[in-house]
Amino acid sequence: MVEAVTVSVEVRERTGKGAARAQRRAGRIPAVIYGDKQDPITISVDDRELTKLFHSPRFFTQIFELNLDGEKHQVLARDLQVHPVTDGPLHVDFMRFNQETRIVLLIPATFINDELSPGLKRGGVLNIVRREVELLCSPLNIPGELVFDLEGLDIGDAIHIGATELPEDVATTTDRDFTVATISAPTLMPSDEEEAEPEEGEEGMDGEEGVDGEVVSEDTAIPDPSDDGANSND
Amino acid sequence: MLQPKRTKYRKAQKGRIHGNAKGGASLNFGAYGLKAITPGRITARQIEAARRTITRHMRRQGRIWIRIFPDIPVSTKPAEVRQGKGKGTPEYWIARVKRGRIIFELDGVTEVIARRAFELASAKLPNQTKFVQRAGN
Repeated sequence: MVEAVTVSVEVRERTGKGAARAQRRAGRIPAVIYGDKQDPITISVDDRELTKLFHSPRFFTQIFELNLDGEKHQVLARDLQVHPVTDGPLHVDFMRFNQETRIVLLIPATFINDELSPGLKRGGVLNIVRREVELLCSPLNIPGELVFDLEGLDIGDAIHIGATELPEDVATTTDRDFTVATISAPTLMPSDEEEAEPEEGEEGMDGEEGVDGEVVSEDTAIPDPSDDGANSND
Repeated sequence: MLQPKRTKYRKAQKGRIHGNAKGGASLNFGAYGLKAITPGRITARQIEAARRTITRHMRRQGRIWIRIFPDIPVSTKPAEVRQGKGKGTPEYWIARVKRGRIIFELDGVTEVIARRAFELASAKLPNQTKFVQRAGN
């Protein structure tokens, strides 16, 4: 079990967007504690303290002990809203739990022995299909990470969830042996051809698309800008 | 260059770009991303130029994802033509990019390579951008 991280929080008296914005201006992030069949409590967390915490990949699998005026709440962070431009936190949901609680969590997948994979040595790319795996577990028994071994994997090979052993009392949410990652060939670099004949490559592409446009719909094809006849508006 | 295979209408209104991105503002595929922090219209040519810069800088490593698609046709009038007589002919395609939108994502390369690749690519784009990465990378 992971050690709980203590965070001091304050009760938020006013709710709504005006009050929430005022809190953010004052350097505090609005949050809520809910769950365990008790009434929700609106709180606020220090901006800098929260920013440090949520940059960890284990933010959602870490148990927090919220210190609310001397009262302790054992919670898990269940949701985090971030600003689309600044990526700063806007609001956090904390959920209380008890011994019987079973929750679905996203556990980070990590990959080891990449130097022992012939596929990666040959220039292949580890294409991670699921960076996080959805698991059903108790909050008191959250696996820190799921480790997958890349040894001996070549380009075209895939790693499935069955490749790792899940801890006791932890299950996946589906019965399928789903893919977690694949070793794929790198993005094709057409630069060799392009550098030889850059203009021709581009024109060829336009031409193909023009033909496609004619077949499907005459409307879409945009003529080559260099073609003056097509630009005539009279 | 990217462009739609078919469209319902041949010409589109000019439009304005207001507000922040509602979706596509977080990394979905790769470990690193290039995020727009100012709004702007990105043409298919600019996307292609930026993509080439990134791929060339990565030198056969890694993977790239393009998170925007130029699906808006822009029409122009020919040179030395008087105003009126209807809208011009569609000339190129653009993507309207709001603030916060992830434009490219990268994976399978080191942070140093990703940063430099995005720096070079950003010079090809009209928007101001910033480098973003997944927590824990």
